[in-house]
Amino acid sequence: MSITHRTALTGCLVGLVVVAVAPFVLDTYLTNILIRTLFLAAVVMTVDILWGYVGILTFGQSAFFGIGAYACGLVFTHYGFGPGWALAALALALGAAAIVAAGTGWLAFFHGASPLYASIITLALPIVLTQLIFSGGNWTGSSSGLSGFPTYYWDLEVWFWLAGVFLVLTTTGGWLLVRSDFGRVLVAIRENEERCAYLGIPVSRIKIMLMILSAMIASVAGFGYAAFSNVVAPELAGFQLGTELLIWTALGGRATLLGPVIAAIGIDTMSSWLSGAMPFLWKLLTGIAFVVVIVLLPRGFAPLVGALWRKLRPRHAVAAPVVKLTLAPVKLMMQSNESASPPLRIEHLSRRYGSLHVLRDVNLVGNATELLGIIGPNGAGKTTLMRCISDGNERTDGKIHVNGVEIGRGSPQHVVGLGVGRSFQNTNLFDTLTVGECLKLARYRLDGARLFDRGDTVALPQPAMDILQATGLDQKLGEETRNLSHGMKRGLELAMVLAAEPSVLLLDEPTAGLTRPERMVIGKVLTRLTREFGLCIVIIEHDLDFVREISNRVVVLHQGAILMEGTVDEVVASDLVKAVYAGHTEKKAA
Amino acid sequence: MGVLTLDILTTAAILFAVAAGLMIILGVMKLINFAHGAFLTTGGYVAYLTGAAGISPWLSIPLAGVLGMAAGLVIERVIVRPLYARPLDAILATWGLGIVIGQVITLTFGRGVQFAPSPLSGTTALFGVDYSAYRLAVALIAVLIAGALSALLSFTRFGLNARAVIMNETLARGLGIDSAKVRAITFGMGAGLACAAGALITPLLSVDPNMGLPWLVNSFMLVMISGVSFPSLLIASIVLGGAQVLVSTYVSPILGGMTIVALAALVLRFNPRGFSRA
Amino acid sequence: MMKMRNLVLSASLSLAFGATAHAADPIKIGVPVGLSGANSVVAPSVVQAAELAVEEINAKGGVLGRKLALEIADDGSGAQGAQRAYDSLVFQKKVDAIVAMETSAARNAGLPIINRGKVPMIYTSFYEGRSCSPWMFVNAWVPEQQVAPVVDQFMGKEGAKKFFLIGSDYAFGRGMLEFTRKYIQSKGGTVVGEEYLPMDGSDWTAVISKLRSANPDALITSTAGGAPNVTLTKQLRAAGIKIPYGNLALDEGTAKTMGGDAEGIYISASYLSSLDNPANKKFLEAAKAKFGSKLETPNELSVPQYEGIHAYAAAVQKAGSTDAAKVVKELAKVSVQGPRGTITMNKQHHAPLTMYLGRVKRDGSVEVINTFPNVDPGAQCPRLPG
Repeated sequence: MSITHRTALTGCLVGLVVVAVAPFVLDTYLTNILIRTLFLAAVVMTVDILWGYVGILTFGQSAFFGIGAYACGLVFTHYGFGPGWALAALALALGAAAIVAAGTGWLAFFHGASPLYASIITLALPIVLTQLIFSGGNWTGSSSGLSGFPTYYWDLEVWFWLAGVFLVLTTTGGWLLVRSDFGRVLVAIRENEERCAYLGIPVSRIKIMLMILSAMIASVAGFGYAAFSNVVAPELAGFQLGTELLIWTALGGRATLLGPVIAAIGIDTMSSWLSGAMPFLWKLLTGIAFVVVIVLLPRGFAPLVGALWRKLRPRHAVAAPVVKLTLAPVKLMMQSNESASPPLRIEHLSRRYGSLHVLRDVNLVGNATELLGIIGPNGAGKTTLMRCISDGNERTDGKIHVNGVEIGRGSPQHVVGLGVGRSFQNTNLFDTLTVGECLKLARYRLDGARLFDRGDTVALPQPAMDILQATGLDQKLGEETRNLSHGMKRGLELAMVLAAEPSVLLLDEPTAGLTRPERMVIGKVLTRLTREFGLCIVIIEHDLDFVREISNRVVVLHQGAILMEGTVDEVVASDLVKAVYAGHTEKKAA
Repeated sequence: MGVLTLDILTTAAILFAVAAGLMIILGVMKLINFAHGAFLTTGGYVAYLTGAAGISPWLSIPLAGVLGMAAGLVIERVIVRPLYARPLDAILATWGLGIVIGQVITLTFGRGVQFAPSPLSGTTALFGVDYSAYRLAVALIAVLIAGALSALLSFTRFGLNARAVIMNETLARGLGIDSAKVRAITFGMGAGLACAAGALITPLLSVDPNMGLPWLVNSFMLVMISGVSFPSLLIASIVLGGAQVLVSTYVSPILGGMTIVALAALVLRFNPRGFSRA
Repeated sequence: MMKMRNLVLSASLSLAFGATAHAADPIKIGVPVGLSGANSVVAPSVVQAAELAVEEINAKGGVLGRKLALEIADDGSGAQGAQRAYDSLVFQKKVDAIVAMETSAARNAGLPIINRGKVPMIYTSFYEGRSCSPWMFVNAWVPEQQVAPVVDQFMGKEGAKKFFLIGSDYAFGRGMLEFTRKYIQSKGGTVVGEEYLPMDGSDWTAVISKLRSANPDALITSTAGGAPNVTLTKQLRAAGIKIPYGNLALDEGTAKTMGGDAEGIYISASYLSSLDNPANKKFLEAAKAKFGSKLETPNELSVPQYEGIHAYAAAVQKAGSTDAAKVVKELAKVSVQGPRGTITMNKQHHAPLTMYLGRVKRDGSVEVINTFPNVDPGAQCPRLPG
């Protein structure tokens, strides 16, 4: 069993033991309060996953909590009570939460949505839900809520065990999830969502799935809460509970999972325990602590606790398991060689911003085994051209076919799925991920990611292996990306793009900032890619010598239109091109 | 019909007055000030205090404005400035600030609901309808505020600097504009406006430590939709405020309460720029 | 052998201590009340009434040799807050009884807890009726006692046929207006509109617009006591609404805070501060003596609290202990002589009351128009004895 699994199992068992013993040690009132807090802590855990790990600032988990609570209250009040009814109500709670979460996700997580907008939607959710509850009149009990409905009047101990076991199990599951390969994907999305999209990772779908899963957990917690406390009120679904969850998460430590859970239990219990004016003073103190934490300690208190722990019990750092590289068969890449249509065909492509034409009527074909260079002065539209190829929403007019398939209005993920790989002008990676993790990420579209543990191998196609070997990255698989040199980052980025086995490779100034030897290495690799693996590579470059060495064909772009096409020598010798680069028209040679 | 029109116009005006402070902060500082509701509440308590002290209720509005501006300048320095690079965190920090302000108010004034006297009582006849005089006054004041702010932006040096910072802060700094000062003053103005708006609307309703919350959410949605422009905020207020009144009147006042939020969310889904032409 | 002796010694010592400790222990009465939220306007008067009652009883030596002590908790005027308050009172403070003036939302949330904890409770707020528990008694009015005077006045003296109803959207608002609607229709009138806002809602603009377009002869409202009353009345007057206005949930204290806006409102109450009987006079003097200038006007919502605590004390005295089951038996029988007259909660845990129809004057005081002695509460809890 892997270390992760062993730790999880130990933690889970410890938790269960604590839960089993606690009711006999604590007094009745504390047990009472804790039952509710434990249900809430499970919801807080989902908030940490969504916010801490994926970066979605969500105010709306309380809405799903409320849905579960009201499912319980409504069914037991108006329809019936008994084991069958309870199961039906639970199913309703889960179903309703999933549907609402899917709808919210659709609304909030489309490609290009800003994080602020997603937060706004999660903000609107509890408000709309509360108003809907208010409008339900006698059926939902409106402002009063529903109370006194039949429920299971088990002993406090039983309820404590139910809530505690629920919390321990869901937290263990959550912990395994965030520690797994999939958990790394989540962190990658949080750090650089754009890049993930261009690696073919279905970001929107992942976010929506997580939202649905979190909603269902929160809903079950709400169901339990309602069944225990025998009261449901609109506050359970409201905006203020939603922000309380965020506060507990922030104070406990974002992206630590256990921190928020402990903070939730601690803070909520304290505020119930204090009587008289103290609850308000307590709220003032937590409010101040919250502001201080956000401003000064964005990671919350957990890292402080962690640092203290490490000081008290120092142990040499256990090296994170480093992945091993294996070779993957290059089926996909070779596919394009066999198909009849060219890997890339652009027809009448244009891109307008209002009256400004950035690209006009560009027609271009990219063939297999070909290295096509795109050159032109700044502002000619080269990067825009690349953007239009890799993102179906960018262009204003025209058609683009990749391997015979039209990209339509497809998102970057979709276009990557058709076989396009793209690197960016500015290296744009994932700071806290290691090289090995980045490579695993790049293989997500093809190999998926394990949900509850970490794989120890990553399969890469030969071209990617070559780059890693050529740049020496294969010796640095455990190194965090932010510690790499610029040249190595470039190499890593290229390797990642190649790992996804594209048939069309779009490179935007890949040699910028590289030393001469590094440039030669890249050049060799690119040449080999076209000759041996049949890729079509489209490369934007300013270094004409580099372009001459490696490319077969060059296209000159000027003010959004293709000025001329030909071999490097033809283009370089052309007077027209010289004039354009110099910025003025020369008299034609007599 | 006359009553409905007046309802819509006065509701829109109130929404505009309340949202204006949030908008100028968003525009210049690209920051959502979630303490906005708390500033509103503070303004409401200023109105309550001036009423209790026997001062003319009209004075409570400028008084609240000045107090808000002073508080805003301090808060910007201490809390907001460190968070310019982290907009989502700024939302949370200002929300936390709102909680702190709310608790301080609770500890000072108690948790109960208070009332402020209305500067104008009774009705006036307008468009053949007897309508609440103070509501009409509030609407008028809101229009004046809009006018004053637009004038400030368009005709003063400060306004010019602010507009430059809104459009391109880096470039503005490069031209020698002290963007830190612009930001500080803007936050102060936003807070002052929010307090003044709170004092303005309290006589219509009531004030308690949590009164600002529903206004915060509605203003927030309005500002998201309208972007950074007074004309489009006015339009958004009329369209969404009108929708709210219509739903409240013809369907149910309870559902009316969520109209702005629901509509705004939908509009933004399909047109992330909302009504603005920016 | 040594161990056994020590055990017996320590056991008897703790018994002795326990016994003496028990005798000095105060009897704890929990008072959950809306210190925040809709009821916060009236809560101070309720707390004062409770404190006055406790002081009077303790001055006479307490009950069964023990003093009374109050535990006040904020129920937030709503369900969630009430849950926390009741949990705290019943499980943490372990009160012997609860005497509560609360919104129906709070009461409904607290009932399961007192049922579970088996704590006697006296509910001292008027409400919509039909809330039943073997542990709870009510000494305030229900619709069967309160609605008729107002409607009869409007239909008879004012000739009103079309009524508009406005309420807060929760158990009380809906329950009261449902009863009112049925009563109006049974007397041949019509209801041309019925509108609700959530309990904490303060913007009645749309509702008032609907009122204007429906053009009724009279208005009857039943909002949560306190803040909603004030905002609604303020906005009604600001909109120039002058039709006969009956408010089923207005107490004198709140009316006074409304100033001139409250003039002309009809209320139907079991207590008015102008009541001319010796018990009321004594009560008002004692209140003034205790609180001086800080006195909150005793009103329909605070006086039953005063009487409720006296009722509990009397029941404990009769039962000879604070044992819940015994006390509950006595609560159904004891009579209290208070500012509202003699009150016995013997009709299915509810009490017959003398009701007064009044009209609010410009200075906030209430002019009595008609008196209805000993109005029966009707069949509120058929399963309970009485």
